[in-house]
Amino acid sequence: MMPDGSRKSKRQPTFNTIQREESFKNPPKTGSTYPILNEFVTPHIESFNALFDDSGLPKGDGDGRGLLSLGLKDIGERVVFDGSGELGTESGQRGWGNRLSIWIEEVSIAPPRVPDRDTWSTERKIFPTEARERLTSYRGRMQAKVCWSINGNIHPDQFVMRDCGLVPIMVRSVRCNIRSLPSAELVRRHEEPEEFGGYFIINGNERLIRYLILPRRNHVTSLLRPSFANRGPSYTQYAVQIRCVRPDQSSVTNTLHYLSNGSAMLRFSWRKQEYVIPIMLILKALIGASDKEIFDNVMMQDYENTFLTDRVELLLRSFKMYSLYTGDQCLEYLGDKFRVVLGMPEDWTNQALGAWIIQKMVLVHLKSARDKFRMLVFMLRKLYSVVSSSCCADNPDSPQHQEVLLPGYLYGMIIKERLEEALSQVRNQIATDVRKEEPPVDFLDKRYIIKVVNKVNWDIGSKMSNFLATGNLVSPSGLDLQQASGFTIVAEKLNWMRYISHFRCIHRGAFFAELKTTTVRKLLPEAWGFLCPVHTPDGAPCGLLNHLSRTCRIITAPLSVAEIPALLAAHGMTQAFSSSIDGRKNLCVQLDGRVIGWARQLVAHQLATNLRIWKTEGRHKVPLDLEIGFVPESKGGQYPGLFLFSTRARMMRPVKFIANGKDDQVGSFEQVYMNIAIKPDEVELGVSTHVEHAPTNFLSILANLTPFSDFNQSPRNIYQCQMGKQTMGTPSTALQHRTDNKLYRLQTGQTPVVRPHLHNTYAMDSFPNGTNAIVAVISYTGYDMEDAMILNKSAHERGFGYGTVYKSQIIDLKEMRGATKSSASPTLHFGLGHDVRTAEGNEQHACCQFLDKDGLPFIGTKLDSGDPIAAYIDETTGRTRFVKYKGDEQGIVHEIRMLGGDTGDTELQKLHITFRITRSPVIGDKFSSRHGQKGVCSQKWPTVDMPFSESGMQPDVIINPHAFPSRMTIGMLVESMAGKAGAMHGLAQDATPFQFSEEDRAIDYFGEQLLAAGYNYYGNEPMYSGITGQEFAADIYIGVVYYQRLRHMVLDKFQVRTTGPVDPVTRQPVKGRKRAGGIRFGEMERDALIAHGTSFLLQDRLMNCSDYSTTWVCRTCGSLISLGYDDISLGESSTGTIKATGPGGEYCRVCRAAAEDDEERARQALTTGQNPDRSPLPGVMVAIPSSNVLRSSSKGGDLDVVAVPYVFRYLCAELAAMGIAVSLEVR
Amino acid sequence: MNQPGQQTTSAGGGGNFIPAPRQDMEYICADCGAKNEIKSREPIRCRECGHRIMYKKRTKRMVQFEAR
Repeated sequence: MMPDGSRKSKRQPTFNTIQREESFKNPPKTGSTYPILNEFVTPHIESFNALFDDSGLPKGDGDGRGLLSLGLKDIGERVVFDGSGELGTESGQRGWGNRLSIWIEEVSIAPPRVPDRDTWSTERKIFPTEARERLTSYRGRMQAKVCWSINGNIHPDQFVMRDCGLVPIMVRSVRCNIRSLPSAELVRRHEEPEEFGGYFIINGNERLIRYLILPRRNHVTSLLRPSFANRGPSYTQYAVQIRCVRPDQSSVTNTLHYLSNGSAMLRFSWRKQEYVIPIMLILKALIGASDKEIFDNVMMQDYENTFLTDRVELLLRSFKMYSLYTGDQCLEYLGDKFRVVLGMPEDWTNQALGAWIIQKMVLVHLKSARDKFRMLVFMLRKLYSVVSSSCCADNPDSPQHQEVLLPGYLYGMIIKERLEEALSQVRNQIATDVRKEEPPVDFLDKRYIIKVVNKVNWDIGSKMSNFLATGNLVSPSGLDLQQASGFTIVAEKLNWMRYISHFRCIHRGAFFAELKTTTVRKLLPEAWGFLCPVHTPDGAPCGLLNHLSRTCRIITAPLSVAEIPALLAAHGMTQAFSSSIDGRKNLCVQLDGRVIGWARQLVAHQLATNLRIWKTEGRHKVPLDLEIGFVPESKGGQYPGLFLFSTRARMMRPVKFIANGKDDQVGSFEQVYMNIAIKPDEVELGVSTHVEHAPTNFLSILANLTPFSDFNQSPRNIYQCQMGKQTMGTPSTALQHRTDNKLYRLQTGQTPVVRPHLHNTYAMDSFPNGTNAIVAVISYTGYDMEDAMILNKSAHERGFGYGTVYKSQIIDLKEMRGATKSSASPTLHFGLGHDVRTAEGNEQHACCQFLDKDGLPFIGTKLDSGDPIAAYIDETTGRTRFVKYKGDEQGIVHEIRMLGGDTGDTELQKLHITFRITRSPVIGDKFSSRHGQKGVCSQKWPTVDMPFSESGMQPDVIINPHAFPSRMTIGMLVESMAGKAGAMHGLAQDATPFQFSEEDRAIDYFGEQLLAAGYNYYGNEPMYSGITGQEFAADIYIGVVYYQRLRHMVLDKFQVRTTGPVDPVTRQPVKGRKRAGGIRFGEMERDALIAHGTSFLLQDRLMNCSDYSTTWVCRTCGSLISLGYDDISLGESSTGTIKATGPGGEYCRVCRAAAEDDEERARQALTTGQNPDRSPLPGVMVAIPSSNVLRSSSKGGDLDVVAVPYVFRYLCAELAAMGIAVSLEVR
Repeated sequence: MNQPGQQTTSAGGGGNFIPAPRQDMEYICADCGAKNEIKSREPIRCRECGHRIMYKKRTKRMVQFEAR
């Protein structure tokens, strides 16, 4: 607006309220409201899509087949013989007979559909919402086509379609029924308009497979681990390792160990069993290389290098003891040793088996033997280089050498292994039948083979469901992974922030969580732009559970790179087969772990530059996602070379290539050797090659949402990332279709006045997370000490931070007592039986207040703990039974879902009831600003007593100034100013970090705005005490800060008890809030009381309020456990000569027995004249002060009543059981 | 149309009162929103679309909470 009012330029709305309302009323009919949400889950969804042939992904260099098909190819066939052949005939010298081979031709997974038995449904598809609401899994049917051939004759009839059960399907994947639906359709299907999928639905829960960090595939890393030396004699700490990945994304890790005698051993594992093979054996077996060829290839003309010559000589000499000279001999040897463990067809020769094991287990990413040979030689050279310290060991904890295990690939690997297992079972079953010969097996009988296939358990669906539900990996091979559990997590919809960060979190591995050393948790500079430095939890998983940076992508599409070797050769690369390459001057050029050539350092550098220009400009068909890792020669640095990566599962991120201004994708390997400026003005000519698109790109989504985070001390931003995820916000806009156990909802959510630019991008306004509050920073009333905050009572009454908790209870009659196992005719039915009087009047049953005629509660009924929420009739007894409301606070029946069966032909057996529990803020509830400044509400202060400003404004929240000096959350102070100015001018303030500088200060920018609105430049104002009306001596800093209400509420936490349940053994109070237990008054607390000398308090806490008990103790023997009773109901002491000592006939059994003994002995002594020994003294003596003696027995006997802790009595009894007597000395 | 399998004599409870006639209850289909009359022990299935989830309707009975 112009000051003179002449020209009114139309102001652009900055809050987009109208626009948002429109998109809420009419969700877009094409596409989605926030496309970026679909983008950031693509690695989840596309990795799942990659399983199928119709994935929609580009073909790359392959034929477009899905991972499942590729896996089936890798499984191959299983062979069994019927043993009908005669010895010496052509069917084998051992009489193998007919050769039956079986294999899986193809598998298919269908989208989730209603079973065919259901003839009523008009909609045959199942949508995710049904799985969620009915608490089932979202699954599609899997089928496998099992084929067989006899003696190699393939007949088209010889196949059987085998059902493999229902396999969980990822939501929004290619097999999902809501794939690529626009927002409007999603809303119609009861989803969020912003639903992006990427998870599975298992028993109504949304679960996802978490990203896991793995070693970078197809790249040789050198390791230096002292533990390697413990592997056996002559092993050293040196090794090189490569994780090779097959086209179906399953992997094998090969490790080359350096032995102190100069040779090397190749290690791999087969079915969790480790095998070590001399490297020479493999080198020879691969291509039948002569010793000279191996020598030349390893030396690469570097004959002056005596370190290398010595070792290669030793390597060659040491292999002489095997007496294997040709490649065939080596293969034969290998096959012979491995025949037993492989379980391959009996008719294979040793040589074929040897070739097979090399193909299966050694450098599996390469097909040709020559490539494997070259790569092994490269590994050997790198190993020797590490040993000679001419290059350093690689850091396996650095993202440079890491990639990501994607959900779909893991899923595919498990399916592949399950299929392989099933196929082997079929083979083993047939082999067993052949051996048993009852009846003799006829391979030509089609029915027999179909019978066997059907007999074997092919239920892969349930195994996959189990994997997703538990996260436990059941695998014979271990899938080359370091952990067997903890793969899946629940995607909690606590609020939008928490929900979306599940899909971006990436775990280092459960193995590292137990590690004592903390090096793996370190934040490395290599992670810049890939892993967020801010967004990691503090505490146990700190640094292990990271989150991807906002712009970090994970490559999921196969790239086409087949022409790159020829392209590079045309530009000066020496081809790999060239025989005369000088290893001292040439660098190895590798593409995805395949040696494609050699080039001198300068040429390699030029090639790298060329490739980068080509890929950014799309020339020569070089894909943009190709990673060009040029490692220059250095003294003792990383092993040099030009390493190109085109495979999937790599982390990449977009930056700007300065040379041509185009977008470039940078991977974590190459980034280490690049110079990327953060802001355009930081570009250093001749040094910087790239510049970031935005300086905030290295932050995760959540870290980006902290306003002015660049003004804060860094740990505060970490805390905000934690607290943002615990905020009571808006979990979902499809709340009525959610069946979560517990949902927190903030009723009065607002859009923040101060928000970073990305707030809009990530749909944060659709899921508001807090409230704008007027915050005064002042020490007032003393109730704001120690991070407490004072809430304005009127603000509270206007709905500040008002929230609701939705809890649910599932009532399944099948799990009730008295339910029949058969589902056909259940004996329990919902409803009110005849024993319940429903007619109105005085006789009406009490439950009718809550329950409708169908036995279900009225919606809207308020319930207290123990009220009935459902009634059901037991058919066998005819009685009506009630299910009670379990919660201990008042709840309101919000929604009742009656859940039918899968086919819709079963009567009501399962209910899902949602309760609404109102949670208005109370004293003790936790709030926080967005700067890691959390506090607890300490008082709801009446408005009249709150301080007020000159304009009459009163704060909603008062916080203490002491919250700032040590925490240095300047961002909150800036937010306060910006919020105040924004509220006055009606502006949504941009709080994106790194926008201001020393020259252009935030204080000045917002100060001017405040000045224009008539406020003080620095955001403080004179204020008056609400109690005295006097002006404060200092101006008070007051402004608008967005406040979040955290889900930690006193109502869920308070723990009070006077008396209550006790432990049956010790009679001490039980522990645990749930069981109404007490809080432990422990050893250190006891010390404090002793130190203070507060002995009465000590006795009260540890005795009277705990396990106070009274007991009889014998003064004579000091025993607690020897109490006996005389029957004195008929008068005193009618039995013996020795009197009972207590008023109730109590006496000490030990003393009485001793007395009787004494008398006996006295009599004997009289007769024999001998003096026998007295009974021994007890082992433990405990003195009891006279103050503890409650009353002595009136008759002057030996028993007294004393107060002791009950556990002490228990201890005495336990000690007595061990033969230790405890004696109390009563004074 | 009443269930034949239902016991005619009240097995417990003692009272010899005449049971109130079992009325049909109306429920709402979770998919198409159609009103469905489902008697007790009838399958949970929408007559219109065959869907397998039903919502209970909000009661017409007065629900009043003490306002404090």
